[in-house]
Amino acid sequence: MKVLVIEDDGEMARFISRGLREQGHVVDQANSGRDGLFHAAGGTYDVLIVDRMLPGLDGLGLVKTLRAAEVQTPVLFLTTMAGIGDRVAGLEAGGDDYLVKPFAFVELLARVHALGRRRPVVQADTVLRAANLEMDLISRKVRRGGREIDLQPREFRLLEYLLRNAGRVVTRTMLLEQVWEFHFDPRTNIVETHISRLRSKVDKGFEPELIETVRGTGYLLRATFA
Amino acid sequence: MPRLPRAARSAGFRFALLHTLVFVALVAVIGLTAEALVTHALKRQARARIESEAAELFTQYRERGPEHLRKLVSARFAMRENRLHYAILGRDGQVATGDPVLAQASRDEAGPGGSVVHEIGRKPYDTMLAAVRPLSDGSLLVAAIDLDSVEDVEDVVSGAFYVVLAMSLALGLGTGLLLSRTLLNRLDAVTRTAEAINAGDLSRRIARTGSGDDFDRLSATLNLMLDRICALMESVRQVSNDVAHDLRTPLARLRQTLEDARRHSGTMADYDAAVAKAMVEADGLLATFSALLRIAQIEAGARRSAFQAVDLTDTIQTVCEAYAPTIEDGGRPFAVALAPGITVEGDRELLTQLFANLLENAIGHTPAGTGIRVELERSDDGRFGHASVSDAGPGIPTPEREKVFRRFYRLEQSRTTPGNGLGLSMAAAIADLHQTRMSLSDNRPGLRVGLDFRLGG
Repeated sequence: MKVLVIEDDGEMARFISRGLREQGHVVDQANSGRDGLFHAAGGTYDVLIVDRMLPGLDGLGLVKTLRAAEVQTPVLFLTTMAGIGDRVAGLEAGGDDYLVKPFAFVELLARVHALGRRRPVVQADTVLRAANLEMDLISRKVRRGGREIDLQPREFRLLEYLLRNAGRVVTRTMLLEQVWEFHFDPRTNIVETHISRLRSKVDKGFEPELIETVRGTGYLLRATFA
Repeated sequence: MPRLPRAARSAGFRFALLHTLVFVALVAVIGLTAEALVTHALKRQARARIESEAAELFTQYRERGPEHLRKLVSARFAMRENRLHYAILGRDGQVATGDPVLAQASRDEAGPGGSVVHEIGRKPYDTMLAAVRPLSDGSLLVAAIDLDSVEDVEDVVSGAFYVVLAMSLALGLGTGLLLSRTLLNRLDAVTRTAEAINAGDLSRRIARTGSGDDFDRLSATLNLMLDRICALMESVRQVSNDVAHDLRTPLARLRQTLEDARRHSGTMADYDAAVAKAMVEADGLLATFSALLRIAQIEAGARRSAFQAVDLTDTIQTVCEAYAPTIEDGGRPFAVALAPGITVEGDRELLTQLFANLLENAIGHTPAGTGIRVELERSDDGRFGHASVSDAGPGIPTPEREKVFRRFYRLEQSRTTPGNGLGLSMAAAIADLHQTRMSLSDNRPGLRVGLDFRLGG
């Protein structure tokens, strides 16, 4: 993937770039809003990582300008502001995701992957599949190996999110935000308990095991099996 | 410019002075008008009297001849009664018969064959009103009346006017000084208190007279404002103390971990474990900081402008669904009873966090197996939505109940449970933002956290 990091804090920019390069991505860096806009305007990147606070042109203004110029590259905002309204402002300006500094690198990586994948997702699939699991989005029924699995609405949403991101690691925070709309960090391990319940319905008694735990990061629903 | 005494420089005195001047001007206008009216009336009376006198004599002259008139005039002159004067002036203008003072009367102003009434004599005293009638032989009949009485009345009226003027001036200035002295005394109480507060004595308050007048109400309002400022300052002081105190401990632990790793780690695995431990401590600190920032932002109230209609039933339902597996896995009976379709003006994200914090508080501070109950119901009059989260755990002793809303406050029994002591502070801040009071009560046994949401309308 080709990623542009627009960040004025050199230390932070190096931390992100090095990590992404280790994962095999191509990373360019820009250390001001204008410089970033100049590079991003070409539309050749798969993901833009944009700091909210930039010298010259700030992150919000930069993304608004890009979107006005019809550059639709997915944007991940970074911010040190734990502000409650900031996330909404970022999304309204045309950002696609939002991450508050400081963050664990695996969190950033998972989100970059999710964003990078987003573009071809215009698929109008009404059925999501993984191995012998089938999710019908219209009738809201889930089957595995021909047997119907009864899910509660929130469990359905959780499985749907995992299926849509099949093959990618999703973090606890991403699940909290997307499935329950929790934009804070609960102390209780609610994600773990929900996953464990989902597993007991979806994976118990079936082969292969679909929902995998990625230690220290989150979960992964396998898309392909050897 | 010479310095006036303080009372004379006060606003109260200036008002009184202005009032006095207006009053004096009014008295002057009334006095002058009264004088003019009285003088005019008296002169008219005198004129009528003297005209009729002259007319009567003229009639005598016409009916009984000049000799008779001469006799009458000299007889009346001899009597000198009733401030009246009579004379006949010869053609040469000299007094032929009668009162010599009337020599000043003349016919100059009278038309030929006409009669005239005019004032003669020295002004302002000794003036007379003279009626002059020409006789057929060219001499003049003059009857005159003293205007002394009119002048006397004028003197009395203007004398009275000056007395009243002086009195009202003195009264006005006196009242003004007294009034401004009283006002100054009341204001001085405020000024003295403000000066004492400026000098650092924040506990000073303005003394009240208890009369309930404007000043008393102003003092009460100012005192309330001072109380509020003091409470805010106290809370800021408290928070900074708490922050300094509560962040020291984890920072000290972090430093200790790092130092320990440096001195004792022999292998990469040791270092790795130490770094992992340090990261956990750092994450904890960061979480505490972001919670503090969040509380501060919520308390600042700016979020209120983004309020919109939020389905409270659905919000609480979502939170309960999220926590249900965790709660049930702890062997806790979990009861949720929510009235449908209750909507409030608010911020869904924050309300979600509010109920999540309350549930986490219940989970964190009660032993496994303790039941938790969440309720939402509409009040009988439909104006409030009563929400509550209750548990059957150990509860909070009454004297501690208010304190648990304070940042970092933790009960003695909770010192060892995980948490940063900010959960209930944040919940209270969110409730406050929604103009909802959070109340803690005894669930017999356990704790019941109640929230009264004002519903739309």
